Amino acid sequence: MSELIDEPIDVSTHGIFNWILLLAIFSVITVIGNYVGYKHPIYDSLIGMGILSLITLIGVWMERRLPLNISSIIYISLIGIFIAFPGVPTSETVLYYVSKIELLSIVTVFLAYVGIGIGKSWDEFKALGWKAIIITMLVIASTYFGSAIVAHIILVLTGVPM
Amino acid sequence: MLCGECVLIPNKDNDGQVEHIYREKTDKRILRKNPWRDYRLHGTVLILVIIAELIGTQKIPLTGDVAITIMPLIYTIVLGLVFYLAKPITWIQRKQARIAEGAMMLFIGVLIAKLAVSSGQSISLIFDMGPALILQELGHLATILILPVALLLGFKEEAIGMTNSIGREPNVAVVVDKYGFNSPESRGVFAIFIIGTVIGTIFISFLVTFSLSFLPLHPYAFAMASGVGSASMNAAAIGPTLAAFPGLESQIEAFAGFSNLLSFCVGIYIVIFVALPLTERMYKWLEPKIGKDSVVKKEDE
Repeated sequence: MSELIDEPIDVSTHGIFNWILLLAIFSVITVIGNYVGYKHPIYDSLIGMGILSLITLIGVWMERRLPLNISSIIYISLIGIFIAFPGVPTSETVLYYVSKIELLSIVTVFLAYVGIGIGKSWDEFKALGWKAIIITMLVIASTYFGSAIVAHIILVLTGVPM
Repeated sequence: MLCGECVLIPNKDNDGQVEHIYREKTDKRILRKNPWRDYRLHGTVLILVIIAELIGTQKIPLTGDVAITIMPLIYTIVLGLVFYLAKPITWIQRKQARIAEGAMMLFIGVLIAKLAVSSGQSISLIFDMGPALILQELGHLATILILPVALLLGFKEEAIGMTNSIGREPNVAVVVDKYGFNSPESRGVFAIFIIGTVIGTIFISFLVTFSLSFLPLHPYAFAMASGVGSASMNAAAIGPTLAAFPGLESQIEAFAGFSNLLSFCVGIYIVIFVALPLTERMYKWLEPKIGKDSVVKKEDE
């Protein structure tokens, strides 16, 4: 384990190669799920996933290459918002292909990896008592309701129709 | 110590560089090995996804017009966990879980990209809803209301770590940074982190399903609230919301995505400058009044 930590992080071609292959696997699984669940055409969905994977790749690469301390999540969001911005030349093509991918298809595949990944925390989870479990559920519920209720009040006050 | 490997806290002296947690976790798992080669993991995921999509969304009616919606995303997450824990399934082990965890950090990007494209498409709508989007971030402060419950259950300083926020990676980093690695506050936030990791996604998807049936809130409010500051919980919360409001998909995706982006950009500063100081104050005020004997064994110091 120690040799992994001490090595400097470097984005070699090897690393980018790993990212690309992982994103390709993820795209293929998502496209299959997207076809089984929603019957979207496979070819168009593959291009859609290609666009999303490319945005991800650029964001992840920028996080590691640029000297700024900014998370890839923020780069990815900004790139995604920009290329779909109404009026930007890419927007129509991007919207056409990306709309062929249901958000829920991505979420379903993503959460399969999450499910397998959380298994690793199972032993630590069992060691914590029921009291901590209750607090966790209350914390998640309160953060959700807190922002839902604030958002609702502001939406009603600013006269947004239901 | 609560976390076996502690990859979530890369070093004790991270100078507030909270974002690095994601990066180091991903890089360790992805850049060094050849994670794409693990056909057992990816093959299993493919099969889980096909099974889940074939079963499809199921509605279980509770009363006349209230029904619980169970979506494919619940099947994959539960089956994934079951596959890891089930003894007869020998091809999904700790190694696969580690790769899955690292890969997940990369795949969050695809999810975020999809949400971002929806946000870009609806950018004028987002500007129109600006006040609601920004102010709902302050709604996350409601976690502090749970502090008295934690005190009544017998937690001491742990309660500060437990109730200042939803306790995901960036929040863990903030608490560890402020109180030190072996402090009771950090133990509290670790506990929330681990439990949230295991039950968070499943819990929030049921919570959202119930809220959609019982709370008469604005559809956009549900969309904005799903950006809780955890990509997987966000994903699990969007599912039922999309299903409940057919025809509003692109708006819901836009608000959910943008609110998640806000949680990442400004949420962490709200925790540092508002939530933590407020939780501490409330602790000092409430602890002498309702504090119980500590349930946590004192560690030798």
